[in-house]
Amino acid sequence: MRLVRYTYPNNSRSFAPAFPFSSFSGLESEIGRLFDAALGDFTSPQGAAGRFPVDLYEDKDNTYVRAELPGVSRENISVETVDDTLTISASRKAKEGEATEAVSLSRSVNIPESVQSDKVTASYENGVLTVTLPKKEEAKPRKVSVSVS
Amino acid sequence: MPFLNSFLPSLSRSLSTENRGGNSSATSSVRPSYNVKETDDGYQLTAYLPGVNKKDLSITDEDGVLTIRGERSWKQPSEWTSLYRESRDLAYGLSLQHENVIDADKITAELVDGVLRLTLPKTEASKPRKIAVS
Repeated sequence: MRLVRYTYPNNSRSFAPAFPFSSFSGLESEIGRLFDAALGDFTSPQGAAGRFPVDLYEDKDNTYVRAELPGVSRENISVETVDDTLTISASRKAKEGEATEAVSLSRSVNIPESVQSDKVTASYENGVLTVTLPKKEEAKPRKVSVSVS
Repeated sequence: MPFLNSFLPSLSRSLSTENRGGNSSATSSVRPSYNVKETDDGYQLTAYLPGVNKKDLSITDEDGVLTIRGERSWKQPSEWTSLYRESRDLAYGLSLQHENVIDADKITAELVDGVLRLTLPKTEASKPRKIAVS
């Protein structure tokens, strides 16, 4: 048996004339949400909670990793570089009345080898972590002026 | 418990019209992950809005529809090239319908590190009342 993740059809305009009532479109979206909730946890072994979106950018001096980590206190974020892998781990504690609920999050990304790993910095703002990985001097693009005689 | 939240009777969910169409980039938005918990006095809504600043967030309650809209305050600098993307630049949008059981004047909101916590108190009329038998 093969499990295929249900993808909710975004373009439901073809249904619009048949279901002119807003209550139906609400039901439709609710069904989509239930599928997402059920299959999202089921198909990925780590579960949706353990992963968070990560973006990679670069400019001429640095490589940047931006990770969406809402609601995590700064002391619970750890950023590690080992060889060419950057690992971001975080834990979030949510108070539910008397019980505290802890969620661990971890992600590893491959980064270019040409990173000065001793100069990596990270900042956290509005729930987004930005890791700045400076490039080694020799990896930076260099402008060479050649005089043509 | 996302399943329990899905079945809360008085906070039924509906996609707002701006989420449906998706043909205008100015109004299109993504639904943030969120949950709703019912307490004795009201509802506690938690929505995850990473990248949203307090000034870029708007919360309105009109005609029994609570709407949350958050713009991402961070813009990719022009000299940055993206190598790999998982997040989206779209604004967050969430519309929740309720049957006017919420006291709109007493809604309180708190946004800390990209997590929005909304306290939605129930109106006095919608709270269960104990009737003493004489």
